[in-house]
Amino acid sequence: MEGIMFYIISAITVGGALGVLLSKNPYRAAMWMIFSFFGIAGLFVMLHAQFNAMLQIIVYAGAIAVMIMLVMMIMDRRTIETLKRFNSQFYWPALIGLALFADLAFLAYKFKIDTSNAGKNLAINGSNTQMIGEVLFKHYLLPFEVTAIILLVALIGAVVLTKKDIS
Amino acid sequence: MLTEYLVVSALLIAIGATGVMIRRNFMIVLMSLEIMINGAGLFLITMSYYLGNVSGQVMFIFVAAVAASETAVGLAIAVMMYKRKKSVDVNDFSILRK
Repeated sequence: MEGIMFYIISAITVGGALGVLLSKNPYRAAMWMIFSFFGIAGLFVMLHAQFNAMLQIIVYAGAIAVMIMLVMMIMDRRTIETLKRFNSQFYWPALIGLALFADLAFLAYKFKIDTSNAGKNLAINGSNTQMIGEVLFKHYLLPFEVTAIILLVALIGAVVLTKKDIS
Repeated sequence: MLTEYLVVSALLIAIGATGVMIRRNFMIVLMSLEIMINGAGLFLITMSYYLGNVSGQVMFIFVAAVAASETAVGLAIAVMMYKRKKSVDVNDFSILRK
């Protein structure tokens, strides 16, 4: 049962990614991307990471996809829809991508770890969120603060890049 | 099951990398970057499950924050280029070099 569910959800995920790769219209590509993000959220639920599945839906399918769609809406539709699909000489990069996949899949088949702890230590009292909170604020407090600074710098950078020149 | 999850993660990373290299539309290049980051995140969560250690899930939160900032800066560059050249073709982005 779990195997069948895994194959359905991973087909959704990989199919969405292929839709982004192959569709000509960028609005359709954004829809395929949201499809793929929901598939990844399903895989996270299967891996007992409920908090991260919700984070995936809120941050990626909610915030990032809406940000990309809004930016595409302020542009002229014809200029971004009538672009050619691929670069000239697209075959070499496609071959490099195929080689990258072959390499990573070979590593995945050779990869052996001790899985005796699989599925343990992921929740306190049945709550994954509580466990993440404990670990995040006990062991990863400094990286958490640095993440706040990264977000602030990205915000300032985006504003500085797009503001009008005052001369 | 571990190998299957890793193969899905490898597929996402490879598809995203191919999209970054071959697409002409800068918006779709940004989307392919998101797909790549998600493949790496899937690897983190898989390892967190099979090793029984929740640190991988905590790291995914940082990855999501960095991905959001990267998209914001990338879209700012796209808007700036659209204002100057009225185009989002990556071949027109070579004027950033000058």
